[in-house]
Amino acid sequence: MHHTVISPIREPLVEGAKTYHQITEDICSPAERAPNLLWIVGFVLSLITLGFGLACIFITIWWGIGTWNLNRTIGWGYDITNFVWWIGIGHAGTLISAILLLFRQKWRTGVNRAAEAMTIFAVMCAGLFPIIHMGRVWLAMFILPYPNTRGPLWVNFNSPLLWDVFAISTYFTVSLLFWYTGLVPDLATLRDRATGLRKKIYSFVAFGWTGSAKHWQRWESLSLVLAGLATPLVLSVHTIVSFDFATSVIPGWHTTIFPPYFVAGAIFSGFAMVLTLMIVTRKLFNLQEYITLAHVESMNKIILLTGSIVGVAYLTELFIAWYSGYVYEQFAFYNRALGPYWWAYFGMMACNVLSPQFFWSKKLRRSVVFTFWLSIFINIGMWFERFVIIVISLHRDYLPSSWSYYSPTWVEIGIYIGTFGLFFTLFLIFARVAPVIAIAEIKHILKTAGDQYTGPNATVHHHDDHGQSESVEANH
Amino acid sequence: MEQFTFTGKQKTFSIVLMVIGVLCMAYTYIAYDGGHHARFWTNFLHNSVFFTGIAFISFYLLCAHTLAYSGWHTLMKRLIESFGMFLPVGAIFFLILWFGTISEWHHLYHWAQEGIATLGHENYDRIIAGKSPLLNKSMYLILTVGLILFWSLFVMKIRSLSKAADRGDNDLATYKSTKFWMAIFMPVGAFTSAFFIWLSVMSIDAHWYSTMFAWYTSASWLVSACALLALFVIYLNGQGYLKELNQTHRHDLGKYIFAFSVFWTYVWFDQFMLIWYANVGEETIYFNTRLNTFKILFFLNLGINFLLPFFILMRNSTKWKIGSLGFVAIMVFFGHWLDFFMMIKPGIYTTMDVHGHGHGDHGHGELISEAGHHAAPMIELGWQLPGLLEIGTMLGFLGLFLFVVLTALSRAGLYTKNDPYYEESLHHHS
Repeated sequence: MHHTVISPIREPLVEGAKTYHQITEDICSPAERAPNLLWIVGFVLSLITLGFGLACIFITIWWGIGTWNLNRTIGWGYDITNFVWWIGIGHAGTLISAILLLFRQKWRTGVNRAAEAMTIFAVMCAGLFPIIHMGRVWLAMFILPYPNTRGPLWVNFNSPLLWDVFAISTYFTVSLLFWYTGLVPDLATLRDRATGLRKKIYSFVAFGWTGSAKHWQRWESLSLVLAGLATPLVLSVHTIVSFDFATSVIPGWHTTIFPPYFVAGAIFSGFAMVLTLMIVTRKLFNLQEYITLAHVESMNKIILLTGSIVGVAYLTELFIAWYSGYVYEQFAFYNRALGPYWWAYFGMMACNVLSPQFFWSKKLRRSVVFTFWLSIFINIGMWFERFVIIVISLHRDYLPSSWSYYSPTWVEIGIYIGTFGLFFTLFLIFARVAPVIAIAEIKHILKTAGDQYTGPNATVHHHDDHGQSESVEANH
Repeated sequence: MEQFTFTGKQKTFSIVLMVIGVLCMAYTYIAYDGGHHARFWTNFLHNSVFFTGIAFISFYLLCAHTLAYSGWHTLMKRLIESFGMFLPVGAIFFLILWFGTISEWHHLYHWAQEGIATLGHENYDRIIAGKSPLLNKSMYLILTVGLILFWSLFVMKIRSLSKAADRGDNDLATYKSTKFWMAIFMPVGAFTSAFFIWLSVMSIDAHWYSTMFAWYTSASWLVSACALLALFVIYLNGQGYLKELNQTHRHDLGKYIFAFSVFWTYVWFDQFMLIWYANVGEETIYFNTRLNTFKILFFLNLGINFLLPFFILMRNSTKWKIGSLGFVAIMVFFGHWLDFFMMIKPGIYTTMDVHGHGHGDHGHGELISEAGHHAAPMIELGWQLPGLLEIGTMLGFLGLFLFVVLTALSRAGLYTKNDPYYEESLHHHS
């Protein structure tokens, strides 16, 4: 006798007693209406920001890296800070879609689509920085180890920077495949409702999906295979980013806890960004019944968990720096907290370790407004973290005569701002043309997580039912 | 059967294991007195850390599951609680270890030497002196015995709440109260366990440090705990208990052993690779010793704890089939016991004269140079590989663990019927 039993204390994940048809209507409608004013304003602003970023990139490439304030002591500044920051943000999507799928977490369905899209856009923003940082971007293909006409010139396989090229391009590819695979049935839904040119376009991108049992069976298998592949990738990307630092012998960089601590921090910032975006999206597109307070609360719990893991790691580092008895390590941490960049260290501690602790309170976990602001604080904090690790560790090295101070030029700031333009332009386009929530997956959980099927309405088989069915069987 | 009965046969079995353990330990103590009975004391510490850690991490796992609204594990709740009940016993072992430290029965900890932090003393060590606010005898008592007792309080609290729920005293309030205490234990346990492991294990190599170390040992405990849990489930099923624990529950346990083994490997690799790559002498010495003097164990560790579970449990069916799951569980349990063996033994073996009959007089000054070390046998049992005495000691501790856990299990109903997720666990199938 195989029936699913849902505990009556589980919260519903789809509210408003939805029918299958209503789900289709609710989620498809933003892609089928003309854009509203707010969207247009947002899109124009994003484009302007993107344009400004492109101008700054042009300046960098035309005049060279000298337009940045990097110097001999501080060779990595805004560029790599921003790179790591965006890569970190790009972690939540695949964690939600892959790891939460493997853990059978039903609440993932409300947010996975948008989070996956966000992942892809964030990785694109991240990838920009190392390429520009090369200076001569037209030689970017040199980082690819292909059979070449460059003679003995070959990539350095011993360098973690090269491992990063592989890690990120693999992650990007698999995330893209995962996202698109999930989109296919939903694009077909849009196709079936569209007419004219839109129908033609959606037909093309839906790959001839008919919704036959065979299609679904293959789709399910593929999703599971991709989840299996993506799970180690979620860990590997930021692990290898952390290797960029930890393989060195620079105090503050070389520490063994970096890989798992970077991964936890990445998930932390990724969820914060998902919350920032989804809190706005659910309001704009009227999706509060699909991205419920239960979803917000679950994500806030992950933020509390990963924020605390990051906190444990910070304190471990600090403590072991003292414990090591190694003066340079001790100085690096002393200088982090009390050196000229103390504000970055305290900003990091306040935003990343202290602020998530508010989420011990259930009331605050379920407050949309509070969550929105806190998610922004966290992303500021995670930016500080990378700045702390990169710039503070570099700016006072072994030789006091080469100590230096770094602050960015307007060009560097402009490129960073430009990536927001890119990110939001892409996200706004996505939100217009594709369902921001996975229609098919919401329908899949409706009968076990819809509010007409859960709580007091749950079809639980109580002990009594059991007793009866057992006694009935016994009578046979 | 709703109530587990700790039968005479099972009692006899665990007592026989304990007797084997005691005999092995007694023999080790008498026959190998080198380095202040170093072989005996390292074995004692090794098993104390291993089994106490399993008890701790099992309880931690229970807290994590409850807080994450997990339903499937509910049928095993009593069992996992019973694992936690071993913690107070662990405190006794560490009390003995602490007493051994202050009474100089053993010299497991180089930092405990007389005058090591006193400037001008012949034993003075600048690095250790810097660490002496942490590495000292009072902190050892607080951060091992004290912490274990502190954790035990949480276990007792949760246990009493869980029993109260059985009696049906206001289910939902009890459930909420349980979650409250568990939520406190999560960060508290995470912070404190690191200090416990730094002091009890990492400080053996007193000069060496690694920020990953606490997470690494926790990962090792995690796999061992899941393996032991799977073995208990298989055994109890065989005895006719908890029949509702089906293939899907076993499958989940199999997934855990698989996933945590991969996680352990990940953490192992990170720690090893970063130290190897950066090539800082103060750090590489740790792995240098293990790669050269402990070569067999070094590679055995990776084989048993990564390759074996990875390839055997890769398939769906091997995760739930009793034969394959049980085999892997036994192997990784032993494998992680070896992992802890390799965390503890080398630090003593390479710095102390473990062969010399070094009682009393030469006292603490037994540090010897690596080069001057034994021309002795190629592989020395008890140090480079566990000998029969080590296996026997482990069986003794295991017997005690079984005794404590099964006693705890028999003192309460097997089913936590009033848990709000009980029904979900009862109908857990994929």
